Amino acid sequence: MVPGVRYGTRLQDGVVRFTFDGRTYEGRQGDTAASALLANGVVWFGRSVKSRRLRGVMTAGPEEPCALLTVGEYPNVVPNVPATECVLHDGMVLRSQNRWPSLEFDFASLLQWGGGLFTAGFYYKTFFLPGWRAFEPLIRRLAGLGMAPGPAAADSAANRPPLEEHVTCDLLVVGAGPAGLAAARVAARNGLQVVVVEREPAIGGETEFEESVIDSQAAHHWLKAAIASAAARIRQGSRNPRRVPRPEPGSVRVLLQTTAVAIASDSVVAYRERNEPTNFRIHARQVLNAVGAQEQPLVFVGNDLPGVQMLGGAERFAALYGWVPKEPVVLFGNHDRLYASALRLRGQGARVVAIVDTRPFNANSDHLRDEAGADEWRRAACSLLQAVGVECLTGSTVRVACGGRRLRSVEVVAIAGTADTREIRCGSLLMSGGWLPRRALPVGTIVGAAAGCLDLAAAVASGHAGGVAVLQQTGLLAAVAEISATPLATGDPSPRVEPYLRSPCATHEEKRQYLDLQNDVTVADLRVAIAEGFTHIEHAKRYTTLGIGTDQGRWGGHVGAAILADLQGLPSATASTSKDRPPLASVSLQAIAGWRVGDSFRLVRRTPLHDWHVAHGGNPEPMGLWFRPRFYAANGKDAASAAMVEAGRVRQIGGIADCSTLGKLEIAGPDAAAFLDEVYLSRPSTLAVGRSRYAVQLREDGIVLDDGLVLRLAEDRFLATTSSGHGLHVLSHLEHHRAHRASLRVSVADVTDCWAVIAVAGRASADALRTLLGRDPQELSPMAFWDWSGPLQGVGVAGQGGQRLRVLRAGFSGELSFELHCSPALALPLWEALQVGGLEPYGLDALDILRVEKGYLTTSEITGQVTPLDLGMEAMVAKAGPSLGLKLLQRPAFHEPQRPRLVGLRAVDGRSSFLAGAQLTVGPKDRVPMGYVTSSVFSAQLGETVALAFAARDVAPLGARLCARDPLRGRDVQVRVVAPVHFDPAGERLRGRY
Amino acid sequence: MACPFCGLRPLEEFLFRKTVPNVVTGSGNGAAAGTDVTDSASAYAQVYLRVDSAERSVEEWQHVAGCRAWLLVDRNPSTGVVRSVALLGGTQ
Ligand SMILES: [Zn+2]
Repeated sequence: MVPGVRYGTRLQDGVVRFTFDGRTYEGRQGDTAASALLANGVVWFGRSVKSRRLRGVMTAGPEEPCALLTVGEYPNVVPNVPATECVLHDGMVLRSQNRWPSLEFDFASLLQWGGGLFTAGFYYKTFFLPGWRAFEPLIRRLAGLGMAPGPAAADSAANRPPLEEHVTCDLLVVGAGPAGLAAARVAARNGLQVVVVEREPAIGGETEFEESVIDSQAAHHWLKAAIASAAARIRQGSRNPRRVPRPEPGSVRVLLQTTAVAIASDSVVAYRERNEPTNFRIHARQVLNAVGAQEQPLVFVGNDLPGVQMLGGAERFAALYGWVPKEPVVLFGNHDRLYASALRLRGQGARVVAIVDTRPFNANSDHLRDEAGADEWRRAACSLLQAVGVECLTGSTVRVACGGRRLRSVEVVAIAGTADTREIRCGSLLMSGGWLPRRALPVGTIVGAAAGCLDLAAAVASGHAGGVAVLQQTGLLAAVAEISATPLATGDPSPRVEPYLRSPCATHEEKRQYLDLQNDVTVADLRVAIAEGFTHIEHAKRYTTLGIGTDQGRWGGHVGAAILADLQGLPSATASTSKDRPPLASVSLQAIAGWRVGDSFRLVRRTPLHDWHVAHGGNPEPMGLWFRPRFYAANGKDAASAAMVEAGRVRQIGGIADCSTLGKLEIAGPDAAAFLDEVYLSRPSTLAVGRSRYAVQLREDGIVLDDGLVLRLAEDRFLATTSSGHGLHVLSHLEHHRAHRASLRVSVADVTDCWAVIAVAGRASADALRTLLGRDPQELSPMAFWDWSGPLQGVGVAGQGGQRLRVLRAGFSGELSFELHCSPALALPLWEALQVGGLEPYGLDALDILRVEKGYLTTSEITGQVTPLDLGMEAMVAKAGPSLGLKLLQRPAFHEPQRPRLVGLRAVDGRSSFLAGAQLTVGPKDRVPMGYVTSSVFSAQLGETVALAFAARDVAPLGARLCARDPLRGRDVQVRVVAPVHFDPAGERLRGRY
Repeated sequence: MACPFCGLRPLEEFLFRKTVPNVVTGSGNGAAAGTDVTDSASAYAQVYLRVDSAERSVEEWQHVAGCRAWLLVDRNPSTGVVRSVALLGGTQ
């Protein structure tokens, strides 16, 4: 068929060009890959995963198990896209899957000639000697579904997060078919705010192809009118995830191409892939599921041949995309819809040659006799069809679909009586085995076809009744009857399905009765599963791979479960299917997490000096959410040599470091001092205003949570600093304690971002600050601070225009040192002024050398496993008030002699280096470690490696010899235990005595 | 979860801290029970002991990505149904 002459409701003007396996094709705007390729005469869309059989298009929807495509060019490929869901645009690149080297000739399909090689359990049984690994490379080459995408370019759409939108409504209707829209209509007319999600790009469900009438109007007009007036008033959804748009009172908002996939806490998650990918979180008071019914396949020999299709799918192709098979068509099924479909397809130009109906006329079945006159309709339809040359074979079944690489004919037998076999030549077999409810979210009420209402009148009435029930619950049902009258609908007659499981065949033919087309699971495989004892559907599913493909068993899962029961002599009607798990429709990993790479992986916090560091080779590295400069490239060719230079310079002259990442919390209120005494060991209440103190806080269980400085800014106001990574955690901890101590008049605020911190260290620091401030900073006694106001040499004026500066005599280097806490805007001018004063920046690695030399602690030591006693803080504990965690610190295990305690370590030979992470043993042959090295640096000052470690106190007194063992990275090193303070133990430098 | 200040908010805005001990056996209300770990008799029990019930769990949560209030959440761990959300420690 030439593109351009097709007529279909989804087709628009305009041609799209695309390639499939390298060949260029033309389709129409609105075409899916499936409809366009079918219209171009393409029969084969791919091969199955296991036995590599050629496959065509089976369905016309997301349940498509066969025609799966890889879309795009590497690395931006999307695998396993059902051709039936892939709406074309110009220049699209499509590839078939599971074939090598080409679709028409596939190497692995030769394996089929081995005959029944890939039966259930094949992998488990065949490849278990000499070991799976020997076969894995070959199997991996042949296995897998499509091509995985490569790393996405930084600016590609793949790296953008999907939009996130919260929607609230009175009623959420899932499915915009006749039932769903009837419910939405009556609810909205009575004042409810209704949101409808619809998977398809159009509303209407089967009324898109079924001639039908509701309230004397063409059904699709009625449905459009049902929502149009209300929908016009709806605002578009906001792009801002924080805003919660709410429909106007009495409205219907339809979200097309959106699938309800899961329930998260109490909201429904719906996902829209197309246009702008969006996650909707729908908070609804009530939910109605009108998801419709899934047409079921029939099981006969060769039911996977290209040319065999679902009848409903073919009807969609005909009405929506104007494609009907060119070859003679046979319809096969077990209900009355066959006849209506045959008439419609003939009208579309299909050559229908026969209808094979499993139900005989004049059946003795009670089910059929119940509906008086129902068979009359079928008889009338039969004579009408027979008059135009369509053979109607009732009480018959298709036993075998014949053909090599595509359907050539079908073998039809009568179900009862003589074994009269007919062969009918055809190129298309359209089957329909009845309908079962589609999978729905386990929430709300089910209406329409999903509730078993298979004809239009019943479905509309059911949806309407569902909407009325919601209104009754909310007490909003209008007294005006005409708004709420049940709509009258007529469409195809009730299909009167009579269950039919599978056609008869010899046992050896069962391996061509397919139940899962993606994984080639057949009735024969179920027999093997039962023989092996996998009789429950959940076991059989995993043993045979029934329903584990991308279609998740939508096509043959139910039939497979029924046949599994039937093979065991159980009533198939009661067979349970395997459990459905969210998401209900496939959602790309991209949408869930794929964009969380690079800068989107997590939040980033930058200090006010970040740009300066970057511009000056500062190598900012992540530290929690922060970035901190590790070393400055000008000082050395690598981190180790640069850090050595920087640390040495601080010891000889001085330096400055950006410590803005320290957490800063302000605690204020009349009871602030009492509150802090309860959370810190070091009794902040005894501090004088203008002074600070090193402070440690414990968790409730006696373990050290964090350490820092507490500054008393005023009688009722304190500032506490925390480790860089711990600010938010400590804030939460303080807020928690405050919640429990509701009577205390105190408040806690995070001021981390309000203050930049510059450490100024070394003997030159005093001079530099004297120049800056015009006053000798050594007038400050250790741990005291000034809230500085006044002119700053070359910088500006502090204490004015919101520019604040605090000068604190404290540090983390062991030198005479100060911390400048300042407004972020002051940070850069101060930083540059201090460099003019002769101080050069040092990075995190240098800071680490300086602090290990002095035995100062970081998170390497405060690991969340150590007590203050382990850290040698007995004096602080003894002086502490009744603070949090002290009671449980008394537990005997914390006082046992073998408990590790903080020590310093040096190599016995004074030369060897050993690394953090090395395990400590007493003797070189001991196998059980009694401690470990937490931090280790090479100290240029001392000319050797110095380390901090935890070692059992009973066997590691000062001077003890231990063995630091590091078999993976280094050799064993004999070490001796020293005090943790390696450098300047008397603290002369701290006092400015050089 | 419904924050008393912010209303219905997505779960990822909240942070769980702990299950409040002894609520099921009824030794005092949860708000008072969680804190007083300086009392030697109960410190250990407060931190480590609790009755794990399939039907009822009283827990401390913080609306950490919202108003930062600490909350006492009474919920059914089997079904996830939240019975009540109250402010931890009463009025703040
Ligand atoms: Zn809140």
